[in-house]
Amino acid sequence: MRVERELDVAVPPERLWDTLWDVPRMVTCLPGCTEAREVEPHRRYEARMTQKVGPISLSVPMQVTISNVVAPTSLSLEAKGRDGVLGAAVSMSVNLAVTPRAAGSRVRIEAEGKILGKLGALGHGVIQRKAEELIDEFGVRLRRTVEG
Amino acid sequence: MNVIPIQSSSKIRFRVNGGAVELDVRPEALLLDVLRDRLQLKGARRSCDMQVCGACTVLVDGAPVSACTYLAIEADGREVLTVEGLADGDRLDPLQEAFIEHGAVQCGFCTSGMLLTAKTLLAEEPSPSPERVAEYLRGNLCRCTGYRKILDAILACAKSGATRA
Amino acid sequence: MLRPFALYQPTTVAEASDLLAREGANAALYAGGTEVLLILKEGLLRVGSLIDVKRVPGLAAIRADNGHLSIGATATHRTVENDATVRARCPLVAGVARHVANIRVRSVGTVGGNLAFADPHSDLATVFLAFDAVVHLASRRGARTLPLADFVRGQYETAREEDEILTAVRLTAWPAHTAGAYAKFGVHERPTLGVAVALTRHGDAVGAVRVAVGCVGPRPQRISAAEERLCGVSLADVARHAGEVAELAAREVDPTTDLHGSAEYKRDMTRVFVRRTLLVAVARAAGRDTHERHPHTVIV
Repeated sequence: MRVERELDVAVPPERLWDTLWDVPRMVTCLPGCTEAREVEPHRRYEARMTQKVGPISLSVPMQVTISNVVAPTSLSLEAKGRDGVLGAAVSMSVNLAVTPRAAGSRVRIEAEGKILGKLGALGHGVIQRKAEELIDEFGVRLRRTVEG
Repeated sequence: MNVIPIQSSSKIRFRVNGGAVELDVRPEALLLDVLRDRLQLKGARRSCDMQVCGACTVLVDGAPVSACTYLAIEADGREVLTVEGLADGDRLDPLQEAFIEHGAVQCGFCTSGMLLTAKTLLAEEPSPSPERVAEYLRGNLCRCTGYRKILDAILACAKSGATRA
Repeated sequence: MLRPFALYQPTTVAEASDLLAREGANAALYAGGTEVLLILKEGLLRVGSLIDVKRVPGLAAIRADNGHLSIGATATHRTVENDATVRARCPLVAGVARHVANIRVRSVGTVGGNLAFADPHSDLATVFLAFDAVVHLASRRGARTLPLADFVRGQYETAREEDEILTAVRLTAWPAHTAGAYAKFGVHERPTLGVAVALTRHGDAVGAVRVAVGCVGPRPQRISAAEERLCGVSLADVARHAGEVAELAAREVDPTTDLHGSAEYKRDMTRVFVRRTLLVAVARAAGRDTHERHPHTVIV
C-alpha cells in the first residue's frame, strides 16, 4: 500500500526535525507502535506494531532502520517484521521531509508498505484504508507532540 | 450452561438420510468432514471451502447449508439430507431423473449441491419461473455445463409436478 | 480443519457477557458462524473458545410494537426474508434479506452477526439506515442503544464493547404513503454498491425522504444533502432533480478501491444508481412500477 501526506505544524523546522530525530518518540506517534528500543543510536531500533481489523489482530516485532539522513531536512525509515501467529511478513518504508512554511514548517510523509501472507486475504482495499488511517493518526500525534 | 471443554468430544444424535446416527464430535469438527470421513457420505464435496460455491451443500432440517463452514455439533437433534438420501433404493428422485434426461451432469462435482438446492426450491415453490430458479441457485457454481441444462432439468421437473417430499 | 476450541453455550446475556469479559480476545462470539468460522479456517483468527449465543432466549425474536420493528440478533436472513411481521411492516427489509450472499449463508447467517462483523459490503446495514435503525447492546453492566450509524464505526469496526452482545436491531417502520426501493449492484459474492431510497408523500410533494448508500466505502451512510434537496419538491419534479441529487450523493461517499471496483468507478456508480433508485421510488410513489432491469443489478 502507499500513502502520501503533508502536515503543517506551528513550529520552526528545527523543532520539527528534533522530534523526528528523537526516533523512539517519533516512532511511538504511530498508533499501535509500542516498546520502541534503541539498538544503535539514530541507526537501528526495535518496536512492536499491533493493529486490529475487526477481530483479527496483528502483532509484529519490528526491526527499524534509519537511513538517508540529511539533517535537518529528511530521513528514511525502514521497518520489517513477522507475525508468527498469522504468518504475516510486514515491511514498511517511510520517507520524511521537513520544509519551512510561513507559519512554521511542513513534514511530507511518503509511506510504502507490504503485507505478505494470509493477512493479504483482507484485501488491498481494507489494508490501504487502514494504512491511511494510521498515517493520518501519526500526523495528528506528531503535531500534538511537536506543538505541545 | 452447556460447556464443551477444548479438545473434548460431545455426543451428538441426529438423523442422516432418514437413519439415526450417534457420534462423538469435537466442537471444531465441521459437518462436511463428519459426513465424508466418518459416515462415508462422499456426495458433498470440499471445493472452495469458503461457502461460496455450493459443492458441499447439504440440507439441515430442510434448509441448505454449506457443510464446509458448519459445525457438526449444530446437527445435534436435526435431520440432515445429503444427495445419497435422494434416491429410494433404486428409485431415483424425480430431480435426479430430470438431470439425467436433460444432460445436466458433466463432471458431477456440483451436482449434489444443485440437486439438494433445487429440491428445497421446489418444496417451497412448486412452479418457479426460470428467473426464480436462476436466482435461487445463484450460490451454486458449475464449471462445466453453462447452467442451461441444469435450469432446464429443474424447470422440467417442476412442470411435471413429480416432486417427492 | 479448524484448530481446537472450547464451546460455551450461555443461556443468559449475563453469562455470555461474563465469558466475554473473562476470555477477552481469546474468545469469539458465534451464532451462524458464516464470518467467524471462515476467518478461523483461514488462520486469521485464533481463539481458545467460541461463545454460542443461540441458546439465549429471546435473541431470535422478531416483534412489532408501536410503529417499530425489532429484529433479534440471532434471527437468520432467511427467517427475516420469510417473516410475516417483517413483510407487513418493512417489506423492503424482507426483500433485501432475500438477496444477501447465497441461500446457504442466508440459512445460517444472522442479522446480528452481519451488523456486528461490520463487513463494509453489507446490504442489511445499508437498508437499515433507511429505517432509522437503532442497535440494542447488552452486557452484565446493563443495556444500551445507539443508532446504527454510530454503531458501525468503520471497516469491521463497531462500537461494541468487549463484554457486550448485540441483542436486537430496532427499525422504525415507514409512515403511510411511503414508497421505497433498494438497488444492489455487483458481480461478486459481495455487492459493489447498495442504495436505499424511501419517499414519503405529502399531498403531491415529497414530505420526507431517506437516501442511504452502502457497500462502496467503510460504512454505509445516509446522504443528508440529497435528502434536503428533495424535501418539498413536487413528485412530478423529482425526476428532473434526480441527476443533481445523484451528484450530491456521489460527492458524499467515501469509496474504497478494491476488488469490487476502483474508488472512481464506485463514485460513478453511486451517481448512476442513486438516480435509478430514486426514479424507481418515485414511480412506486405514483402507484406505478418500472420493472426496469440493469445488468448485475437486483432491484428490490
